[in-house]
Formats: sequence, structure tokens, C-alpha cells
Amino acid sequence: MSALETRINAKAPEARVPDVRSRRAVRNRWFAILALVFAVAWPLMAANNFYMTLGTMIVLSMIGTVSLNLIIRTGHVSLAHGAFMGVAAYACVLLQTALHWPFLPALLAGCVASGLLALVLGPIVLRLTGKYFVLVTFLLGEILRLIFVEWEPVTGGSNGIQNIPLGLPFFSSPTAFYYFCLAAALLAIGIAWRLLLSETGRAIDAVREADSIAECSGVPVIRLKVMVFVIACALVGLQGGLQAQLVHAIDPTAFNMDVSLAMVVMNVLGGMYYLVGPLLGTVFMVALPELLRGYVELQQIIFGIILIVVMAVLPGGMIDLAALLRRVLFKSHARSQA
Amino acid sequence: MFSLPILSQVLVNGLSLSAIYILVALGFTLLFGIMRVVNFAHGAFAMLGGYALFYLYGVYKLPYPIAAIGGAVLVAALALVLERLVFRWFYHKMFQSMIALLGLNMALVYAAVLIWDVNERSLPPVAESMLDLGSMMIPMDRLIIVGIAVLVLALFWFFVTYTRQGLAMRAAAQDVEIAATQGINTRRIYMLAFFIAIFMTALAGGLYAQTYALSPFMGDRPLMVAFIVVILGGMGSVSGAALGGLLLGFSESFLSTFYGASVSSFVSFGVVVALLVFRPWGLLGKPE
Repeated sequence: MSALETRINAKAPEARVPDVRSRRAVRNRWFAILALVFAVAWPLMAANNFYMTLGTMIVLSMIGTVSLNLIIRTGHVSLAHGAFMGVAAYACVLLQTALHWPFLPALLAGCVASGLLALVLGPIVLRLTGKYFVLVTFLLGEILRLIFVEWEPVTGGSNGIQNIPLGLPFFSSPTAFYYFCLAAALLAIGIAWRLLLSETGRAIDAVREADSIAECSGVPVIRLKVMVFVIACALVGLQGGLQAQLVHAIDPTAFNMDVSLAMVVMNVLGGMYYLVGPLLGTVFMVALPELLRGYVELQQIIFGIILIVVMAVLPGGMIDLAALLRRVLFKSHARSQA
Repeated sequence: MFSLPILSQVLVNGLSLSAIYILVALGFTLLFGIMRVVNFAHGAFAMLGGYALFYLYGVYKLPYPIAAIGGAVLVAALALVLERLVFRWFYHKMFQSMIALLGLNMALVYAAVLIWDVNERSLPPVAESMLDLGSMMIPMDRLIIVGIAVLVLALFWFFVTYTRQGLAMRAAAQDVEIAATQGINTRRIYMLAFFIAIFMTALAGGLYAQTYALSPFMGDRPLMVAFIVVILGGMGSVSGAALGGLLLGFSESFLSTFYGASVSSFVSFGVVVALLVFRPWGLLGKPE
């Protein structure tokens, strides 16, 4: 959907000339509308509560992957994103339970909390690049998780916090909650989309491709990276607060390294240089395991193998599958013509 | 608090922990330094080493040194199949290797769950006796662990420093293409390096499983340790892995004895984060 426009606008402004590209953009817009209609109509198609909850989980996970995608676009792969989500979730839930704040201000405050933490840590860690950034965020995530586990009087330790009060009265209806989550996800996707399409988006691309050249051209590299980092960490807070509402409980395992890694995997698997990539990856990664619940071990094994194969054959992610197919089909078509 | 028996205990624990950590981290740093692969499946190989030792020593009752070394060789030999099927695709592709090997880790761990179920098992100890040195009591099994690790590390050092194959390996680590033009069969050198790396990891996994417990998920901790040690010492640096392993092993033994395990984790993570910020290439690594 939007991603292709992003690419066209970011990399080839002359593409406004009516040619193949704009036709593709039109087609992508149709895909986007189709996907949106599908998402809105999902409660009608979902036969039971299981599919309803599955839809909610997918939509919520999209917030995390899309916001992580913003960080990845600056050339940094963060392994602390799940932990930042945890910071927001704990802040939101604690404000609700301990200080009896209403849900919406608490959710907002949770996002602000994770954003503020990102603002404090960002200027320090974003000076590192490549593998060093991966490693430092890996450790940051572990430190945050340890704090969740060890700060027992506040966070409830390994047991976490149970019996979280219902945020808004209509959350008791799965359908209404789904639509609320969908709205939050669309907000996150919209923010990411607008950001990547804007002048800032172009600066982000420049920083990723060559940060010193970008700096020479007047892009405030560190400030830009910190800004994107803060926005992304605040956005993932939405997922944290809403996820706590979905399961009515939070504990440190919901924000551990596996969660952060899964977010990265969804991005890479889907294709991390397009906005559709993470969305595609999320649907695939969240839906498939839930639908194959019966065979947990076997399913994990197959999943691992899929990851290996995709990385070996499609290093650009599943989004490349379409291009690959087109190439294969085109080739066979050309051959049949010859 | 700081009496001689306790301090000696701390020392021996630190030594055996360091030995295991160095072995794990050395495998990790070899794979990174030579093939530029971030081996997220490292913990899984350590876990397989644990099961190999469990069968050879616990079930088939082979003599301990043969079981420990043989188990590690077995795992490394099996891993060569994976080298052909999986790893070879991802040499010199750092980012893709991370994700794909994460997948491999998942596949291996859950295959282990399928085969051996999730329950923890314990390996029989090597020796029950204690070495009595006046006021100090040193458990023999810790000493045996240290002995095996030191032996393997010494052999590795000898191999890398004094043999032609070791020289070829160092050359390949510096620049594969130039090494290939000098007549080095880099594909074979890669296989050799891979074998050695997995051998050390599996051996460490066996020793680790014996000190703690054996389960399909035991690999998480060795993987974490490998990360920390390698950052401490510097990515790809062999002497750095040794120094990092010693530092982490002793500080962990000391801090967790006197201040508890969580303090020890906080301190080691905090120190490593600080190190990454100020000196990202590690204590003995080279800045890029």
C-alpha cells in the first residue's frame, strides 16, 4: 500500500509522469483499501471469539512492528523494543491500579513514559551503529526485564500484576475492543507513513544509507535518530497498554527478549524497507502459530525452518516474493512467446 | 564474611565458571571473527553438547574424559551437516545470519523438546570427593572441569599459533579473498573453524549442564554469556574472549556469593553497557 508511494516519492520524484510506476501505485492503493475493508469487516467474518482475539492480537502486534520499522529505517535494529513496550505497559497499569487514573490518560502517560526513557537513553546509545547498537539494546532490554522482575513491591516481580480493571466500559465486548485496537494501529501506521513520506522520511533514508554524507548535507543525524527513536518507543506504548487490557494481566515474560526478537523477525521476514513488509510479517508470524496450536513443538520447528529458508532465498523478505514470482512468470511468458 | 574457606570457594567457582564461559565465548567469537556470522543458535549447540554428555556418560557409562570429548566431537560432526545446509548460505551476511540462525535455534530447541521432553534432567557428577587443603575444601568435579577446559584451550592456542592450518585460519580471518589467492582452501578452513567452534561450545555445554541442569531451554544462558564475554573482550578477538571470560566468571562468582545473583547480573550488564558506549570495540578488540 502506502509503502510504494513512499518509495516513489522518496527516491524518484519524477515518477509523477504516468507510467508503469504510477499504475503500480494505483494498484497498491487498491490493495491498501482492500486490506482496510478486510480489517474492518473481520468481526463479521470471525466465526467465534478465538478469531476475534486473533484479529486483535494481529492488529496490536502491528503497532509494535511498524514502530520498530521506523527505528530500522534509520539503520538501527533495536532489541529493546519489547522492553520499552513493557515500560509503557507497567506505567499504564500502575497508574490505573495504584492511582486509579482513568484508562485513556493512563495509556497516554504510559506512552509518554516509554518515550521519555527513550529520550534519556537515545542520545547515549544511538551513537553506536550496526552490531554494537544491536548488542547494547539487547543488554538494555535485559536490564529493563530484570528491573520488572526484581522491583517486586511495585511491579509484582515474576508474577506481575493480575486483575487489571477494565479500561473503558465497552472493552468487555470483543468486537468493540477489536475496533479500538484497529483504530490505535491505524493511528500508528498513519504516523509512520506520514513520517516516512515527509521531508523527515527522506532525511531518515539519507541517514541510513550514508550518515556522514547526510550530516555534511545539514541533516542533524543524532537529533533525527533520537527523534525517531522517541516516537517509535512512545508508539509501541500503545501496544503495551492495550495488550494489558487484552489479557487482563502483565508479567515480565510478556516483554522479554523473545518479544523484541519476534518484532525484529516480523520486520525482516516481511521486508523491512517497505511499510507493508512489517504488516505482512506480523500477519504471518502471529496468525500462523495461533492457527496451528495443536502441534506446538512441530510448528516451532517448521517456523524455524521457514525463517532459514526465507532468509536464504529472499534476503529482502516476503515482499520480494511478488517480484520473484513476477520475474518467474514474466520469464516463462517471454519464453512461451519466443 | 571474607574468610579463607569462603574465598577459596569463590575462587574455585570463579575458575570453573570462567573456564566454561571462555569455551562458549571462544566458539562464538571464532564464528564471528572468521565467518562474520552472529550465531544465535550458539545456545542450542551447547544444549546438544549437554545431551551428548548425558547419554555417553550418564547412560552408556563411558569413562569421563572420553565421554566429554567424544560427546563434543559427536555434536560438532553433526553440526557439519548444518554447516552445509544452513550456515554456508549466511557467511559474511551478518544481518541475515542473525535472523536465520534464530530460526535454527528455534528448530533445534523444539526438536530437542520433541525428542527429550521439557523436563530438567541432572547429570551424574564426575567425582563426589573433596580435595582437602588444610582449611580449604575444594570439590574435585570443579577441578576436573577446569582441567579439561584448560587442556582444550591450550591445544587450541597451540593449534592456532604453531600449525600451518592455524596460520591458514588466521589468514582467512583477516581477508578471505587474499587468503584464497595464496592457495588456501578457504571452504575447508571454514569447515575446520566451524568444527572447532562447535566442538568448544558443545564441550562447554556439557560441563555447564553438569554444573547446573540439563533441559532443552538451557541454551539461553550460555548464549547470553557468549554475548557479554565477546562484547567485553571485543568481537572476534580470541585473547579478548579469554580475558572477558575470566572477568565475567570471577565477578559473577564473587558478586553472587556475597550480594546475590540479581546484583551480579545488574552489575555485569551495567558494566557492559557502559563499555559499549565508551569503547564499543571491547577491551582487546580493534576499533574499525
